[in-house]
Amino acid sequence: MKLPALTLNQKLACLALALGVLALFSVPHRGPVVTLDTRELALIVEKEVDHVTPSELAGWIVQGRSDYRLVDLRAESDYAAYHIPTAENVTVAALPEFPFLRTEKIVLYSDGGIHAAQAWMLMQAQGYRAVYTVLGGLEGWKDEVLYPALPAQAPAADRARFERAAALSRFFGGEPRAEGGAVAAAPMALPKLAAPAPSGAASAVAPRKKKKEGC
Amino acid sequence: MSSDHRPAATPGSGRPASPYWNPYLAGIGLGLVLLAAFVLVGRGLGASGAFSSTVAWLVNMVAPAHAQSNEYLQGYLGDGTTHPLKAWLVFEVLGVMAGALFSGLLAGRARIAVEKGPRVSTAVRLLCAFAGGILMAFGAHLARGCTSGQALTGGALLNVGSWAFMLMVFVGGYAVAWFMRWQWR
Amino acid sequence: MAPFYKYGFFGDEMSLVLAFVLGTGFGFFLERAGFGSARKLAAQFYLYDMSVFKVMFTAIVTALLGVTYLGWIGWLDLSLVYLVPTHLVPQVVGGLVLGVGFVIGGYCPGTSVASLATGRIDGLVYAFGIGAGTLVYAEVYPAIKDFVNSNDMGQVTLPEVFDLPWGLVVFAVVVIAVAGFSAATFIERRIGDRS
Repeated sequence: MKLPALTLNQKLACLALALGVLALFSVPHRGPVVTLDTRELALIVEKEVDHVTPSELAGWIVQGRSDYRLVDLRAESDYAAYHIPTAENVTVAALPEFPFLRTEKIVLYSDGGIHAAQAWMLMQAQGYRAVYTVLGGLEGWKDEVLYPALPAQAPAADRARFERAAALSRFFGGEPRAEGGAVAAAPMALPKLAAPAPSGAASAVAPRKKKKEGC
Repeated sequence: MSSDHRPAATPGSGRPASPYWNPYLAGIGLGLVLLAAFVLVGRGLGASGAFSSTVAWLVNMVAPAHAQSNEYLQGYLGDGTTHPLKAWLVFEVLGVMAGALFSGLLAGRARIAVEKGPRVSTAVRLLCAFAGGILMAFGAHLARGCTSGQALTGGALLNVGSWAFMLMVFVGGYAVAWFMRWQWR
Repeated sequence: MAPFYKYGFFGDEMSLVLAFVLGTGFGFFLERAGFGSARKLAAQFYLYDMSVFKVMFTAIVTALLGVTYLGWIGWLDLSLVYLVPTHLVPQVVGGLVLGVGFVIGGYCPGTSVASLATGRIDGLVYAFGIGAGTLVYAEVYPAIKDFVNSNDMGQVTLPEVFDLPWGLVVFAVVVIAVAGFSAATFIERRIGDRS
């Protein structure tokens, strides 16, 4: 049986309809289900390239760098009470849907570091590559930046380093502890949120693009 | 009988103009360019934005205080770190000129002329073109795009506003067509 | 992973180069289709040449199927492709005004650029009209600002708003387009024969 010859337009129409029918089953949007490359992630974790120390972070903030986004993963009330300057509040639940740019550096922190580590895993699974956690979280920030301690019998090199840390600490509204004895057993209170925003650091949370992206 | 009239040739080219392409093939070509834009840059095509950038730049040259205090133009001037003409759409529109010229030359269709119907004079036609352009500017800026940006780009992404816009373009056009037929037929 | 620019494969400068290259393709196919000619464009509204409808919807269907399939196999992150936010009433009004301008002027912004590039003076004049209109718009913008920004529905797609699966809407669009093309050709022949 001979099939009738189809014109070009008719062939195109058939192709379109076939593709359209197949498209009925399509699911083009990424859902919440992701795939993990366990080997790659295990290597990253082991190499510890995904950490930022609180002192490093403090340095970035003072320099006014705006090439990263600092994310506070705690609840809103905790964030309002105190947060590291220039941090934005995104809870872990809101994290997967949050519209981060794929090309920006994201630094996560939570109280101790467990939530930050878990959130780090979530973001890596979604394909974000430039994700970091603050080593020690907010507790680490308190110990290293806000209330750096110097033991009584410290060598000269340590003293020099302590002076620098002390300056940083005062900048953020903290209190350096020079006497070894004052290693407090009671938790140190966090400074009020009047910590000065260094010039330029505010732009870290400023609008990304000033010009329109539309047509 | 084919519905598209034979286009007139480039004077001095020594050959008749090539007929226009099969619309479906041209459409597929256009669609693939659009798809390439999505895949490469994560945005679609457009045109009206380039006009806005250019106008903003011109006004800024002539009356900077006014341009920067005007909310609409300021959006296209940005914060001063990049030149307003260093905009994606401006480069894209320059490309459109190049591509269209290339195609026109290739097909022997490039020529200085005025496209108009047989019953209308050149002067009236140009007046209508200018008026149409003004209306088009309003329409495009209200709709955040024109047929390239909204209908094509938004249409291919199933954008609600784009489809509504596209529908209304046809409604508006057909509604007025009868009253403008003296210009075209 | 696509869109390549959004994944940092290249920077802003390259993006502008690509803008030009993509524009070249755009302009090429516009002129191939005959859209550098106001008469061919306006013919759409007199029903004897439905090329505008055919080209536009073929392009839409092609790109739509493209993003659907690329998204489905996971090569394209559709959420990173920019979607212009919907402002329903201003866009509806804008569409009407644009349609009227189309029939009066004979072009739309993109085709006017293609037209002036191939030497059409009316295309050039039209482009100046757009410039003038943009100036006027900028002046009246503060007064109409609230209207322009009304009805903000955010970035919404048809499947979302009608609560239908994406694939179903794609299928419907393809079917409607193919049916539309048949009808368009039929209308062309009827009107063409009569005129």
